[in-house]
Amino acid sequence: MPDFDTGTGRIMAIYAIALGIGYILSGVIEVFGGAGMVPGDIFGGLALFVIAATYITGVPGLLNGEHGGLSFLMGGLLLSAVFGVLYILAIGADGLEYIIGAAETLSISIRPEIWLFLVSLPLAYQVWKLTREVTW
Amino acid sequence: MNEYSGEDLEVVFPERRYEAIAKIMETAVRVRKERKWTFTDILDHVFLHRVLGIPIFLALLYAVFQFTFAISAPFSDMIDLSFGWLGSLAGANISNPMLASFVADGVCAGLGSVLVFIPPIFILFFALAILEDSGYLARAAFVMDRAMYKLGLHGRSFIPLITGFGCNIPAIMATRSIENENDRIITILVNPLMSCSARLPVYVLLAGVIFSTSYVAGAAVFSMYVLGIALAVMSALVFRKTLFRGKPAPFVLELPRYAVPGLKSVTLHMWERGKWFLIKAGTFIFAVVIVAWALSTFPWAATAGGELIENSYIAMFGHVIEPLFRPFGWNWQSAVALFFGFLAKEAVVGTFGALLGAEGEGVNIALANAHWFTPLSGFAYMVFVLIYFPCVATIGVMLKELRPRWVLFAAMYTLILAFVVASLVMAIGHLAGLA
Repeated sequence: MPDFDTGTGRIMAIYAIALGIGYILSGVIEVFGGAGMVPGDIFGGLALFVIAATYITGVPGLLNGEHGGLSFLMGGLLLSAVFGVLYILAIGADGLEYIIGAAETLSISIRPEIWLFLVSLPLAYQVWKLTREVTW
Repeated sequence: MNEYSGEDLEVVFPERRYEAIAKIMETAVRVRKERKWTFTDILDHVFLHRVLGIPIFLALLYAVFQFTFAISAPFSDMIDLSFGWLGSLAGANISNPMLASFVADGVCAGLGSVLVFIPPIFILFFALAILEDSGYLARAAFVMDRAMYKLGLHGRSFIPLITGFGCNIPAIMATRSIENENDRIITILVNPLMSCSARLPVYVLLAGVIFSTSYVAGAAVFSMYVLGIALAVMSALVFRKTLFRGKPAPFVLELPRYAVPGLKSVTLHMWERGKWFLIKAGTFIFAVVIVAWALSTFPWAATAGGELIENSYIAMFGHVIEPLFRPFGWNWQSAVALFFGFLAKEAVVGTFGALLGAEGEGVNIALANAHWFTPLSGFAYMVFVLIYFPCVATIGVMLKELRPRWVLFAAMYTLILAFVVASLVMAIGHLAGLA
């Protein structure tokens, strides 16, 4: 017997696959030196692969409506939030440097970690609805 | 008893205890419905995963160092601007040139160049406190145990090793929780390879100078921590296979529930661990930078009041030890900074400040303009600082915990390892055309 509605699980699985692909593509670009808005960052790229793997590992469980699948989805969302918030704070720090006069120009780098985090928020809301009753 | 029972009692006792608890629970506690799935179950399912557990831990560790590096920069700049203003104020208003040099170049420049690292150190401790208070750090110990056991380290060694990222002194004291003497000695011997926060200022300074983008600099700093862990586990494996034959004792750990970390608790943890840096900066490091200033300024007449450092006592000493480091492309100033780094690792930065006549973030600019390091030689220097000699205070604690011969062994093997690994970095860099 599934732990939650398999229809919802299917939608979340598709979302998780899309996010996983997004993280893999961004990771590849970061590892191989960056392009456009995506900077070159080997370790950052590897971290994106880890997030992608976390999302994708949970897909079979989500399709079957199992708690196990939800675990990987929550793990992926947590990692997305950690990296997304990290680089949003980094933008704030760059802005502060500019305000105090330590930096000559204001450079705003909207890394893929930020927009992938923002894209993951509707999924996070869906997971929150499913886990509202869960205790620590 | 182990031999008699044929089982390891350190494992058997907790197992029997939990079996007894489970039996009592069955009879004494009435469960109305099926046990509910909790957040702790949900998160443990992924964070303790056999395959993903370690990569997730490494990804989070990387986030911690990026957080430290990116967020601290404006706060360091504020401290730098304050000390720069104080230094120029002292230089302009003190008529006695020797006193003016002491206040501006010794006190303000020396202390300022160390205090700019308060933000990264406190932010690093803040991030580690979040991981600890959330209950994740205990999970990290758990996921690392399998790998650590294979590499000859006890699972309980993980907490002292992670503590070593903050400071090797409490980390070495924390090894007292390891009951098996051989496991404890191995953990202490490899602990200085865990990159303590005193080394962070050196990495931040050099990575900022030799790499143009902050992401690459952040990755270079992170690589020091990864290299430290790799060398620690490799050294432990070698020690286990040669000096301390046998298997590590089994590891039993009770995992706490996950929790949302409270701001007050995290801030208190950060302060408890970070305040030693303020104390050390105000006492020991301050004394070291004053000695570095005096040695780089005297004889007063010969150096024209610190203007001609080539004629100073520190230059004479630097030229004596420079040949040891010449193969790495490091000049006498860099060699002298390593010498003072033996007293306290942060003093490497203070010494650069004194030798360059710069303070705070100005040391970055002065060091970049001096062209003392290429990216390769600078990276090799970071590697050397990571590995060579534990600092004096760490040696002192090791002497309390180990026999003197082991302390001497730790000092010698880290020094030899530093030369070997830095040479390898240079050789690989030359072969890769990075020279």
